[in-house]
Amino acid sequence: MTNYFQKRINQWSLSVIIILFIINILNIIYNTPMVPDQHWAQKIFYVHVPSAWVGFLSYFIVMISGFMYLTSRDNRWDNIGLAASEIGTFFISLVLITGPIWATPIWGQPWVWEPRLVTTLILFLIYIGYFMIRVYGGYIERMKRNAAALGIVAFINVPIIFLSVQFWSPDIQSHPQVEMTEQPSEILSPFIFSLIVFTMLYTVMIRYRVYVIHLNNGMNEDV
Amino acid sequence: MLSVQNISKAFNRKKILKNISFSQKEGESIVFMGRNGAGKSTLFRIIARLMTYDNGSIIFQGKNLLKVKPIHSSKLFYLGHSPGMYHPFSAIENLNFLLSLRKIYKDQLEILDVLDQFGLMESANEPIGVYSEGMLQRLKIVCAQLMDWDMILIDEPFSNLDKDGLDLVQKQISFWRSQNKTISMILHNKNHAENFCDRILTIESGIIK
Amino acid sequence: MFFVLLKKELFIELRSKELILSMVVFGIAIVLAFSFSSNLSRTVVMDYASGMFWITVLFVSALGVHRSFAYEKEYDAFSMLVTAPIDRGLIFLAKWVSGFIYLTLMEILIIFPFFKFLMIDYPSNILIAISTTLLVNLGIMAVANLVSGIAMRSNLSEILLPILFFPLVSPIIIAATKISTGVMLNESYGVWEIWVLIVGSIIIISGLAGYALFDYLVEE
Repeated sequence: MTNYFQKRINQWSLSVIIILFIINILNIIYNTPMVPDQHWAQKIFYVHVPSAWVGFLSYFIVMISGFMYLTSRDNRWDNIGLAASEIGTFFISLVLITGPIWATPIWGQPWVWEPRLVTTLILFLIYIGYFMIRVYGGYIERMKRNAAALGIVAFINVPIIFLSVQFWSPDIQSHPQVEMTEQPSEILSPFIFSLIVFTMLYTVMIRYRVYVIHLNNGMNEDV
Repeated sequence: MLSVQNISKAFNRKKILKNISFSQKEGESIVFMGRNGAGKSTLFRIIARLMTYDNGSIIFQGKNLLKVKPIHSSKLFYLGHSPGMYHPFSAIENLNFLLSLRKIYKDQLEILDVLDQFGLMESANEPIGVYSEGMLQRLKIVCAQLMDWDMILIDEPFSNLDKDGLDLVQKQISFWRSQNKTISMILHNKNHAENFCDRILTIESGIIK
Repeated sequence: MFFVLLKKELFIELRSKELILSMVVFGIAIVLAFSFSSNLSRTVVMDYASGMFWITVLFVSALGVHRSFAYEKEYDAFSMLVTAPIDRGLIFLAKWVSGFIYLTLMEILIIFPFFKFLMIDYPSNILIAISTTLLVNLGIMAVANLVSGIAMRSNLSEILLPILFFPLVSPIIIAATKISTGVMLNESYGVWEIWVLIVGSIIIISGLAGYALFDYLVEE
């Protein structure tokens, strides 16, 4: 079996994404304007929002994979779901770390009950449960079904969770991100670029992770 | 009646059943034998749709059980190792509930009569939580006798029974055979097996020998 | 068939009385803990009363749902349900409705101690308070039974159930607290209408998801 990175396309995609990511970081540090009052903390916006986008996209993929696994019982869908849940949780963790860092200069404290952050935190906690199901959900084949069901239930609740938290605390000062999307092109353009780079990074990560999981499952198979 | 084709099942990636295939004609009795952990109970639970399987198909009375609604397996009855009943309920309450699940309506006198045949009349109104293992085993056979089925899967029908209980259950199985019912059983005793079946299938290392 | 299953759920409890008793005692214990631990003035307690009530309900419902599914595991009773020629989604619906009934009964029994121990005034509009509480109970039980179906056959079901349940039920708790506070303060319906809609949405989503997914969850 060929190594994943022996394939030309995978070599190219990894190289391209590394280069693009470096360009993205340099772009964020040197090219993006300084926003008054927020200074360097504002630059986290270019990482925070794309991380959130990728995290939620990943969880959406977990839901789709769960649905496909339950209907087809094809293990490949479970592999995709597992990979997506791991990578999604990684990016969501980034969101929970970068969010308070960014918002501290504006809010004066690392955490307030802002709808987006709270929704992200709740989803993160649900996925802790998801990983516990993966470990303690019984024998592997049953665990996959339970995890698939939970992945579906977790994501379909996201709009409800977000709406309820948003209405819960309308007096909480809105997340700085909301103002940022109304900014001029010298802020929006690098933001869109960062969004695209993060999405490409995610694609590379998930393809590789699915490959590793598939390999792992194949090696563990007792025929 | 039943056609099992290429059924495989793995637990934690270890294949317990490997492409199991067999057919059972109407009125035929088959006994499944094999060592502990061979996969006999697993196979029964898969056929009864209690457990999922990895691949294969199960055709019962012309219908693929995985592709049809559970209503189409109403003529297939499964008796597992455990009682499959609610411990706070009495024998009569459990039987009434299980009968109503299958939309079968029996006269209470008929239920009591069958309970009496199996020596459970005195404790018919006590919660089955106080029953011994032997009494629970008899109750399972009472349940099977009252149900309306064409094929039954019984996991170790003779376990935990005293001599009287053994006689009663053996007579009941013989009666079912005389009624041309299709029976599949899991047994460990070869003498029992030879007396109560048309053929014996042995499961070893996940395949039928 | 749904009524057969519902009748079974209700009669089991009538026979054993384990569920209601444990839920009520646990509920009162939590209320007592709130009374002891909150060294607040009466007016401040009024602000927190809704939250305290729904936290109590949350813990009690987790216990109740776990116990309700425990009946099925003992003596492998669930196998008879699963192998029966019935729509498996009806099992979820029966558990949901019976859980709603038990939760409501439990609340009826602990509501007076709750108000008395915490020295809170009763709401002036009792009818609205009752109807909104019933709606929230439906929502809580829908999520609880769905989660219990997922965690039921796991190795650590007692621990997994609350871990999965509490985050998923958070929108309902937010909504319930807002509704109860609105009712207690005699606010007009328009103020807390959105929360009723949110609870209604959760009931529909969780109910449909539970009904559809239960077929996949009950098999071993």
